[in-house]
Amino acid sequence: MKLTEPQIQDLYAFTRQHFVEHYDLQTEPVDHLANDIETQWQNQPKLSFEEAKNKAFKKFGVCGFMDAIEQRAKAMNKRYRRYLWNELKNWFALPQIFATLSLFLGFYLAFSTFYTPILALVFYGIIIIWAIYKGIQLNRQFRRRKEISNKKWMLEEIIFRQSGVTSMVFMSQLYNVYRIPEGFITNIYFIVGLSLAFTAFVIISYISFEVLPSKAEKLLNETYPEFCL
Amino acid sequence: MSNSKLYKGSLTTIILKLLNEHDKMYGYEITQKVKALTKGELKITEGALYPALHKLEAEGLLDVEVAKVDNRLRKYYKLTETGTKETVNKLEELAEYIKTMQALVNPKLA
Repeated sequence: MKLTEPQIQDLYAFTRQHFVEHYDLQTEPVDHLANDIETQWQNQPKLSFEEAKNKAFKKFGVCGFMDAIEQRAKAMNKRYRRYLWNELKNWFALPQIFATLSLFLGFYLAFSTFYTPILALVFYGIIIIWAIYKGIQLNRQFRRRKEISNKKWMLEEIIFRQSGVTSMVFMSQLYNVYRIPEGFITNIYFIVGLSLAFTAFVIISYISFEVLPSKAEKLLNETYPEFCL
Repeated sequence: MSNSKLYKGSLTTIILKLLNEHDKMYGYEITQKVKALTKGELKITEGALYPALHKLEAEGLLDVEVAKVDNRLRKYYKLTETGTKETVNKLEELAEYIKTMQALVNPKLA
């Protein structure tokens, strides 16, 4: 005896009730539970769907699907960092390296003036405002995508909702930008370091807020063979 | 994972070995295969199998394929080139471990 389409949908709902929110993570337990239920029916054809489902779920142990979710989240975050790193490498190869160098030079020249603390705050403010605006825009985009497809993919959520995490590391340094000691603004090593940090901040923010979300379809297709099914 | 904690450290090797012998396998199939091969002596729990499969996939040792079977999607796992090489290493490590244990618990046979 095989499971019907409504029973399969019931299994999807069951996994959601057990905190498996992402469609890419639901597929596997749904198939596993379905196989187990069908095997149980071979020996006990009169067993109800609900009873067989609960028996099958018990085999996942006390933690249920949690260990699998945790492992998957680690794997997807690793994958996201790999995509980010691959894009970052492009900025140090031709032709983007010219943009990277120009950006660095621009910051260096600006910070070499007497207005380093003010300019650092102004640049910092501009980038933060842009990052917040993009964050809100991407979050809306993510909600719209979910409404249309009725599915949520783990990598998709990382791309659209956690894109600011890397930038947050820089954002948390506001106090240090605000309180640049006076003696530092004439120190060439400090100016070079500050320019490098700002260049990295701009490039990483641009990749995570602009480049990766624009490549979302390609990356999701590459990650999930079932994405186009 | 099983009726004995002794098998716990070998889960990865068991998965790799099975996939080395089959072109591709899905989660439930792996649990049933192990159960059949060991005549029910070793039962891989679902709660241990899937995290292990996801970890191996993230490490690049496994590749996935998804197909529609009956009225649902099924995720198949297969070894990558790196996975095939790693299987050889893992099996050698396991053989070495068995040999060492044999020498410890039954010196006459070693």
